[in-house]
Amino acid sequence: MANMKILAVDDSPTMRRIIVNTLKRAGFDDVIEANDGKEAMEKLKSEAIDFLITDWNMPEMDGLTLVTNLREDAKFKSLPILMVTTRSVKEDIVEALKAGVNNYIVKPFTPDTLKEKIDQVLSGQSK
Amino acid sequence: MTTSNNIKDKFQLEIVSLTETFNEIVKKFKSLHSSITESYNKVPKATKQLDKINEQTEVATNQMLDKVEAITEREQDISGGLGEIEKLAKEGKDDEICELVVKLKSKSEINVADAYIIMDALQFQDITAQQMDHAASMLEDIESKLNDIVEALNASSAFPEKGGAYEKKIRIFDPHADLFEKKTEQREIDTMFDKVTKQKIE
Repeated sequence: MANMKILAVDDSPTMRRIIVNTLKRAGFDDVIEANDGKEAMEKLKSEAIDFLITDWNMPEMDGLTLVTNLREDAKFKSLPILMVTTRSVKEDIVEALKAGVNNYIVKPFTPDTLKEKIDQVLSGQSK
Repeated sequence: MTTSNNIKDKFQLEIVSLTETFNEIVKKFKSLHSSITESYNKVPKATKQLDKINEQTEVATNQMLDKVEAITEREQDISGGLGEIEKLAKEGKDDEICELVVKLKSKSEINVADAYIIMDALQFQDITAQQMDHAASMLEDIESKLNDIVEALNASSAFPEKGGAYEKKIRIFDPHADLFEKKTEQREIDTMFDKVTKQKIE
């Protein structure tokens, strides 16, 4: 599990740095980054990614469009996706769920919550 | 009589023209009313948003300062302790050295933990950046509405040239982004995902 490659997508360099550090602390050393959905798509096509962590509000391609596009592609249908965003309105969460995210965290998050949600997604349980 | 009629006609024409001009002005003001109202409503919203950013930045900064102060205090203890170890080592007091090393190790571990807490707390930057973008976008809307008003009144010459023209940034933000208040709590989100997962399994 710790050997898996994680792609962290966020347009905030600060957030990416925090996510990468939190993941490394949790034992996930192989983490690559993307600034937005478009860059993430390119990385997903060129590298073998085991887990995706994505923000919602991003330029070029937002997180929801990224998830929708990925779920339409047979190759990424079962890619574990965790959305980490400031969006906490219920309608947004339902929309993300419908688009195909496996779990959802509202920022700011604690390292424990991030680790817990990754574990839940990997074990196929939401809780 | 003819002269009097001519004056009357002229007067009537002037009145009609004046009425038309007034109607035009009223029409223009009516069309501007919504722009003015919208701009008027956005000013307090933008101000409130800026106050919120100030408050949240202050709270987050103070939380970090608390941790930094605690780290610094412990670092001073560690430094003093290392001096003590040196002294004890010279006197050959091994048991006391061991005891002191355990204490210092614990303080050093707490410092690492606190440093991570600071790192986690720095998430506030992403949230306040979105709040700033929200406020900036409201101010840009006001600016654009005011420009419309100036243009509609053909009054641009009455205003000084806009200083510091800039290229508008594309702003992508969550208008509800908040450091302390989440519209939906994490446990509620967990329940929603739990339900869906259970349905999938069944």
